[in-house]
Amino acid sequence: MALEKVIYRALEDVLGPENISDDPVILDSYAWRSGLVATPVKFVPRFEAITLPKDTQQVQAIVKLCNQYKIQFKASSTGWGGYCDPNGPGVIKIDLRRMNRIIEINEKNMYAVVEPYVIFAQLQAELMKRGLNCNITGAGSNCSALPIAAHQGIGHLSQSGSYGERNLLAVEWVAPDGEIIRLGSLGSLSEWFCGDGPGPSLRGVIRGNTVPLGGLGVYTKAAAKVYHWPGPSTFPIKGVSPHYHPSEIPPGFMIRYFSFKSADEMTEALRKVGESEIGFILMGFNTAMVAGNKATNNNEDLELLKQFTKEVQGPGFLLIIAGNSPNDFEYKKRALQQIIDETNGKSLAAVEDPQNAGGYIWRFIRVTGSIRETCRATGCFGGEVGGTDVFGLMRAYIARSSKIKQDYIDKGLLHADGTHPFVQSIEHGHQGHGELLVRYFPNNPESAKAGMELFMAANQIAIEGHFGVPAHVWSDAIHDMYGPYACNYTKWLRKIKKTFDPNTTAEASSHITAKE
Amino acid sequence: MTLEDYRSDMEMCCRCSYCKFIPLERVEGFQHVNVCPSISRYNFHAYAGGGRMGVGVAMLEKRLEYTDKLLEVVHNCQMCGACDISCKYAMDMEVLEPINEIRIKCVEDGHTVPALDSVVNSLRKQGTMVPGAKAKREDWAEGLEVKDFTKQMTKVIYHTGCRTCYDKDMWKVARATINLLQKAGGDVGIAGENESCCGGRAYQMGYREDFLRQAKQNMELFTKSGAEILVTGCADCYHAFKVLYDKFGLKGDLEVLHTTEYLDRLIQEGKLKPTRQVAMTVTYHDPCHLGRLGEPYIHWEGEKVPGQIRVFAPPKEFRRGTYGVYEPPRDILKSIPGLKLVEMSRIKEYAWCCGAGGGVKETNPEFAKWTAKERINEAESTGAEAIVTACPGCEQNFNNAVRENGNSLKVYDVVELLEKAISKGGH
Amino acid sequence: MIGDELAKLVGAGNVSQEQTTLDEYSKDMSFVNTIMPECVVKPRNAGDIDKIVNLARETLTPLVPVSSGPPHFHGATVPGIGGAVIVDLSGMKKIIRIDRLNRVAMFEPGVTFDELIPAVEKEGLRLNMPLLPRKSKSVTGSLLEREPVIMPKYHWDIADPLACVEVIFGTGDMFRTGAAAGPGTIEEQWAAGGAQKEAAGPSSASWYRVIQGAQGTMGIVTWASVRCEILPRLEEPFLVGSSQLDKIMELVHWLVRLRLVNECFILNNTNLAAILAKRWPDDYRDIKDTLPTWVLFFNIAGYEYLPEERVSGQIQDVIDIAQRVGVEPVPAIGRVSASDLLTAVRRPSREPYWKLRYKGVCHDIFFLTIYDKLPGLIGAMYDMADEAGYPASDMGVYLQPIVQGVNCHCEFNLFYDPKNPRESDQVRELSISSTKSLIGRGAFFSRPYGESARMIINRDAATAAALKKVKAIVDPSNIMNPGKLCF
Repeated sequence: MALEKVIYRALEDVLGPENISDDPVILDSYAWRSGLVATPVKFVPRFEAITLPKDTQQVQAIVKLCNQYKIQFKASSTGWGGYCDPNGPGVIKIDLRRMNRIIEINEKNMYAVVEPYVIFAQLQAELMKRGLNCNITGAGSNCSALPIAAHQGIGHLSQSGSYGERNLLAVEWVAPDGEIIRLGSLGSLSEWFCGDGPGPSLRGVIRGNTVPLGGLGVYTKAAAKVYHWPGPSTFPIKGVSPHYHPSEIPPGFMIRYFSFKSADEMTEALRKVGESEIGFILMGFNTAMVAGNKATNNNEDLELLKQFTKEVQGPGFLLIIAGNSPNDFEYKKRALQQIIDETNGKSLAAVEDPQNAGGYIWRFIRVTGSIRETCRATGCFGGEVGGTDVFGLMRAYIARSSKIKQDYIDKGLLHADGTHPFVQSIEHGHQGHGELLVRYFPNNPESAKAGMELFMAANQIAIEGHFGVPAHVWSDAIHDMYGPYACNYTKWLRKIKKTFDPNTTAEASSHITAKE
Repeated sequence: MTLEDYRSDMEMCCRCSYCKFIPLERVEGFQHVNVCPSISRYNFHAYAGGGRMGVGVAMLEKRLEYTDKLLEVVHNCQMCGACDISCKYAMDMEVLEPINEIRIKCVEDGHTVPALDSVVNSLRKQGTMVPGAKAKREDWAEGLEVKDFTKQMTKVIYHTGCRTCYDKDMWKVARATINLLQKAGGDVGIAGENESCCGGRAYQMGYREDFLRQAKQNMELFTKSGAEILVTGCADCYHAFKVLYDKFGLKGDLEVLHTTEYLDRLIQEGKLKPTRQVAMTVTYHDPCHLGRLGEPYIHWEGEKVPGQIRVFAPPKEFRRGTYGVYEPPRDILKSIPGLKLVEMSRIKEYAWCCGAGGGVKETNPEFAKWTAKERINEAESTGAEAIVTACPGCEQNFNNAVRENGNSLKVYDVVELLEKAISKGGH
Repeated sequence: MIGDELAKLVGAGNVSQEQTTLDEYSKDMSFVNTIMPECVVKPRNAGDIDKIVNLARETLTPLVPVSSGPPHFHGATVPGIGGAVIVDLSGMKKIIRIDRLNRVAMFEPGVTFDELIPAVEKEGLRLNMPLLPRKSKSVTGSLLEREPVIMPKYHWDIADPLACVEVIFGTGDMFRTGAAAGPGTIEEQWAAGGAQKEAAGPSSASWYRVIQGAQGTMGIVTWASVRCEILPRLEEPFLVGSSQLDKIMELVHWLVRLRLVNECFILNNTNLAAILAKRWPDDYRDIKDTLPTWVLFFNIAGYEYLPEERVSGQIQDVIDIAQRVGVEPVPAIGRVSASDLLTAVRRPSREPYWKLRYKGVCHDIFFLTIYDKLPGLIGAMYDMADEAGYPASDMGVYLQPIVQGVNCHCEFNLFYDPKNPRESDQVRELSISSTKSLIGRGAFFSRPYGESARMIINRDAATAAALKKVKAIVDPSNIMNPGKLCF
């Protein structure tokens, strides 16, 4: 279904001819499948047109035209995940690439305001110059710095730097009906420091522990809480791609990967690290991810995986300590040593080795290794993504799902990268998150099917095992699996959708539709 | 190779957008994060490396027809390879190769653009990629006493290149090169009027057969001369001789060096001594085809090992820009007394393209200028008085941009500054 | 008659239509209009609440939920219209669960701080509390009001420390927010290892945020879970006094930013004296006279691992920063000792409630702002007090950095004699006029109460419209506390 001329012209009037296209070449570049949960289907449905607005007014104009002409829209920033794609015809893309300004960095009150196409690498680099830092979504610093762009916004720094849902302050939101709603102090005062009120907080409507994935309008600017950065204003990186490493490890930083004889000991160590508040970054990476992060090619990845698997004594986590002062650093190191002695933790030599440690530290702080850990092996990754209640729950959930993964590995249908869970600790152990990542060759229909079967089995486990509503739950079909068991939350999500999108203009195939 | 041979590479694209930015470990601020001129200018994803992967697969799947728009997207790309390098920080896949194959496929299927046809016609007829040039190929060397290697055996060939031969403003660089090589006591020869285009840019534009014809013809000439070393001051030519000729099994044992590599070697050996002060603050621009694309070609033949993970037998080593020519030009600049080198934000393997490459100067001069202007602005932000580089294509494009925008930034070749630092006696 | 119907549901002993009882709920310490409720019902459990809400829905009877005991201060628990039923939850006092491992506690709405604090302490936990709540203050009430808390280090989000709630919406539907939604009952979730700790969700909405700050206009909460912190093994509290607020705020910025301190707040001498004075008026005057204008209180704590090393290292770091700023942390100032203050703020206020001791009642004006704007706002308030004839030296000021330093709660406490009509009118007018003026200077009234609430919310028409849409989802019949906020 081609976009009617009258609609195209109306959009062109708003954007200028250079900033809209319905040419098949342009459309197909967006229709190439995402590497997230890829299948043998190489191209998703085409958008009817791609639009490139430059500011909120243009976004609003596009949304209003969509309402007027009864077509749908879907906005995205860098457009990585498959939830940026339409499910069928009749949808235009709002590509927010031209909205790429850092609006404000307020050092005293520790927040930053960005437009959607500022990527985390940019924001973090500017913050570091000012002695500040931000939590970067675990997918990577190539993603949008808007704390309501990524699927969840949990990242490596979540131990000390929380995650998107909780770091979000004021937001400028173009609702699906075209109204601009500015949350919190932004609406009342044109200030960015608070996203809540007056009275109840509309932050509750626009996201939960996941975001609406394009189905509830467009977030055109947002403020995020940022954190202290104890390191240098620029990290002293040397070398040539892909072999970057710092010339020295800045003072006050230490990295270790600890493995434990049992999940219980690991959990105990993790709890103690959290309660003593010594962790800067704490990620329950498995050995596959630690290997992948360092390796600069797949062959090296396999070698390191073999080596690390032999050297670890069981599940483990990666920990970066950062001291805000020499006193602080000494205390944290000593407390850590006691904890590790008590829980029989073993340090992985390759991470501790000064030759490697600096590179690991920077890759984890700048979050550049995620693609090596996920997509490099096979071009695609999938799996299941738990929620964010407490660590023990997430660990149990992922451990149960891991057993199914092993079956598929044994059948040769998934990449053999072990079944240790990938879990992480949030806010010094107050909360936890867990994922079971699988990698498979997407053009192999049996493998893609295995990925989907594992996903559905994980859903059954979550429901029967009472493990919460995982973050991978999106779309009507999967939401409706959970709704009846979880206070019919789907009814309320649909009411929000129907209320704020009366004309069903925001494409919601990855969110939830307002169907009865 | 054909585009189909790169299907598995293209299909590895996961849509992460790494191709749009400099390697993220290197980002030091908000500015100068973009690395792809094409998407930076045109914004639609199709113009990015990843977008081109999708377009490539779409072509193979016969989803797209040859239209003006397809050709416009295909040719609005300087073939600078930045996307390839940024992607390969994390991924094991070719990006620039399939982008080039898309162009080759277009040409082979009979779909070309007039501006490039005109250039290639000139190549076919006169062995030059500068149609309508007024000068003769040998004119730059007038008055110089230098061997003609087509008539005499020589150890070192100096290949001038089309862009230098036919642009009077660039002659000083070639003349300075000869001057320095002779001062160092080198046995150097040129082909003069018999010099023919390396064919490299024709390949980048998609005209593979024309490139191969040039390559075979040139290698015949070089082999007859007995030369052991070929030196050139043009990054495109350097890449053609060193990488492309090797790729097609034509290079043989000929050692290909850029003038900066060779001159740096001569300085290290004490055969050239920069002693005169050149008091200036400069910044160095890495030409794409000398820097990230200048590393040796890696021959590989094998197959993917069956299974989930993408590994090959024998193991395939990817060219990731690690071994490009970055230090020799810098070492030369650092050896010049009084010269202060300040670096831009985007350098070495993640340098921003000058804008001239890939046929863009011919098909879309406005885009070439826009790209150059971005680089000039970046150079000015360092506080440097001059931008120094090592390729006539870059220098021409920067000079045009500076003239048009009224910048005060000067543009030099490394060789020019070295010549200023070498005393009249030479040593 | 609604009272009779309610008596059938919850038992006659739990419904009152006695005039004296109704009188108590018809007004509070604020300036809102006196409106008599129809009756007062005291549910015993969530089942009762469910029935009450459904009856109210069928009969279109307004409900006003109240969880704390009196006195009330902000007008939210006074009916906005006639014919309302007060749903007094203060008798629901079950502490459902305290989970040391996951640092969370779950309890019914009638549980007060006074009751919950010792219970969590038995498990080695503590609450991130507001400053000296009154003895009858419900923990749930405080959480739902989004009251600022005194440990900014543990205040990651403005909604903290609230985790999940179970709520009966105005539609009569039961809903549990966050991780508590399910799958499974609460008990089944516990068995699986869940703790009803994740407040956000389920999925892509965070309903708890919509219920918080709503003044009971969305539904009635039947239980809440709260994030707890660990009791320190070692503590060293300090005071910093200065007439220069900017120096204190500079220090505060770093103390919070570097996560050096637990409790951390600023009081002016009026408030600090009012809190600590035991005998009035002598003690109050004596204490106040020994204090500089501004006093910062902070507390450094160590936990299980190497507490002495941690505390001594942090003290040294604090001293280094203080020296750079030009202030000096000390264990006591005048007649105030830091450890006495620490002891005081770990518990609810002694009786009588500290805000009532000075003159009998207190009217609070509070808002959020950022550090840069504080001096201007405080200066303006002092000027306006002067102009209104309110003695500025009588005004209390409480500054609370929140959300780990992202913004600051600023509170002006106007003490006055409720029996003195002149004083009462003066404070009322000052409250209205200063609110308007402070908004214009950058004060964000994120928790609007009383007479100014509608004016505050309606300044942001888009937000007001959106809130009404949300209200229409969960309370389409508008039975939940109508007349409050913009509803």
